[in-house]
Amino acid sequence: MKLITKLTLFTTISKAVIVLLFVWLLPSMVEGVASDYTNYLLKQQEKKVFVTIQENGIDYYLEGDSSYGSYTMLKEEYISLEQNNHLTMPDTLLTSKRMIEGDTLTYRLLVRNFEYDGKSYILEIGKALASINQYDKPLQRIALSVLLILVLLTLITDLGFTHVVLRPLKRIIRSKLYSPKFPYNEKLEPVATSTSDFSYLDEALINLMHRITADFERERAFTSNASHELMTPMGILQNKMENIMLSTEDRDVLEKVSVMMKTLGRLKKIVNSLLLISRIENNQYARQDTIALAPMISEMMKELEPLMEEKGIRYTTYIPNDIIVKSASKDLLFQLLYNLLTNAIRYNRTGGSIEISGNYSPEEKYVIIIRDTGIGIEAGELPYIFDRFKKTSSSCSSSNGLGLSIVKSIADFHGIEIKVSSVRHHGSSFFVGFPQMMVNLQ
Amino acid sequence: MRALIVEDERGMALEMEDFLNKSGYSCELAFTAKQARIMMEDSTFDFILLDLGLPDKDGLAVLEEAKLNCPEASYIIITARGKVEDRINGLNLGADDYLSKPFSLLELQSRMQAITRRKSGLKESRIELGDFTLLLNQRTAKWGEQEIDLSRKEFDLLSYMALHKNRPLTRFQLSEHIWGNLSDDDYDSNFIDVHIKNIRKKMSSYGETEWLQTIRGVGYKIKL
Repeated sequence: MKLITKLTLFTTISKAVIVLLFVWLLPSMVEGVASDYTNYLLKQQEKKVFVTIQENGIDYYLEGDSSYGSYTMLKEEYISLEQNNHLTMPDTLLTSKRMIEGDTLTYRLLVRNFEYDGKSYILEIGKALASINQYDKPLQRIALSVLLILVLLTLITDLGFTHVVLRPLKRIIRSKLYSPKFPYNEKLEPVATSTSDFSYLDEALINLMHRITADFERERAFTSNASHELMTPMGILQNKMENIMLSTEDRDVLEKVSVMMKTLGRLKKIVNSLLLISRIENNQYARQDTIALAPMISEMMKELEPLMEEKGIRYTTYIPNDIIVKSASKDLLFQLLYNLLTNAIRYNRTGGSIEISGNYSPEEKYVIIIRDTGIGIEAGELPYIFDRFKKTSSSCSSSNGLGLSIVKSIADFHGIEIKVSSVRHHGSSFFVGFPQMMVNLQ
Repeated sequence: MRALIVEDERGMALEMEDFLNKSGYSCELAFTAKQARIMMEDSTFDFILLDLGLPDKDGLAVLEEAKLNCPEASYIIITARGKVEDRINGLNLGADDYLSKPFSLLELQSRMQAITRRKSGLKESRIELGDFTLLLNQRTAKWGEQEIDLSRKEFDLLSYMALHKNRPLTRFQLSEHIWGNLSDDDYDSNFIDVHIKNIRKKMSSYGETEWLQTIRGVGYKIKL
């Protein structure tokens, strides 16, 4: 999940939770506030009653009776004052039901006992709770809609701001991680941002990419230069050996020089393979050839026939004649297939077989499959077989471990996908997947 | 035939000279472009073997200049750079052939012989091998009037050995001539054995092939 999506989700969910919590708690909060305020109002009323009694005497209310009662028209408030010779109820503030004129209502009550002129009285002032709670629902509704509008507004501003703030990060990811193709030879522009963390990140990435590219270029240059530098001394050695061979009839000398030459041959092949890989990586080959696959492969197989006959290997090819590969280097493609085919012979068993077939894969690639019945490759070694100088337990002792590296370099250079599957002692299958845009029908 | 070897690596130049002298060429050496120019102005050559990596001048410029001084000579350019452009430019400037270092002296000699054959305008170069005849231009081997069915690689191998008859040739030298030097290992050496076996099998059904000798521990030789 993207950072912006996570932030959006979090902001939205957290705001929604807070709003719902607030709306849910609103009635009890309102109730608390209302009840405190009611208590305060009741106390104020009580004060007023006592001030009136002090100023005008208790008869102002009782008017000669033993009790006094008064309520508003809708009975939301009432007051009662009566003589009370024995304490029926202590002084208190409570919520309790009262029946007035046949209606039973719940009131918030203030009860106060007092003496006046040696007589005990009890004063009760009540305020109907219904009038207190009647605003709960509308309040909740209003609060909810106001809050929702507020939430929406803050969401829009929050997300807008987040979007703006994170835009440089998006650009950094696109320009430094998605788009560039290794090696990073195109100029890396820093992303404009006022957020220092992002500029640090961007700068660090640019530096890292430059360093990786420089290291890679150095390694490439080294491989290429070292190989070139080795050419001349190897040439001199080879020519010296050839001259020795031509100037002697001594079998012993001839044999020794021949062994030296074989060793020099191995050295030459290693250096040449490294040079080839380095040239491919340095894009020194043009991809301008159009190649008909079937004739190329049949030419190769024809050339390799004597070797296969020697080992009693049978082969079959199922490559349609109309398959054309374009935008490729013919020499390199030849080398790629040749290396795979010679491996299929070399690591095959006597009397084995090789099958070469071509098919369109579900991903629209044209895949050539080279299947052999040879000794196979250990499952643990499969991920490493394309590594340079990698020798597997099943390699020939004379192999320099570069054949498959060359295959991989050529494949990468063309955007061809190479896959391999193998079962030890049962054989291997190499899959050469040509991208759709490289393949045409004649 | 006179050859001028223009090569700044003395070790290599001397080996080339030694070999070509034994092969019947008379050689002169030049280690710089300047020396080469002076020599070309003084005398004529049939072959000029020109290293492109000279210290004092770009090899291709030397070639251009040399073609003016010695238009009659055949040119083989030699380079360690191995760039495809070098080869194309060299051939465009009128070089007859091209070799990358490190190369085999036998390969060099084959190329020189091929150029000579081409330039002498001979309709057909024949090599007699016992009762057999190799027709190099037609790329066919014959026994009397009968054509022997050799594959392309088999003919290449046989004609290369025939051109260097009476010289021991190692499997490495033969495989390098046949496949160049881009393969994974010395597996091609075994390939040489297979080819030789097939050549023998095909030719023995017609006549004697004792001239095709195996030198144990070394390689093969055509002895005539």
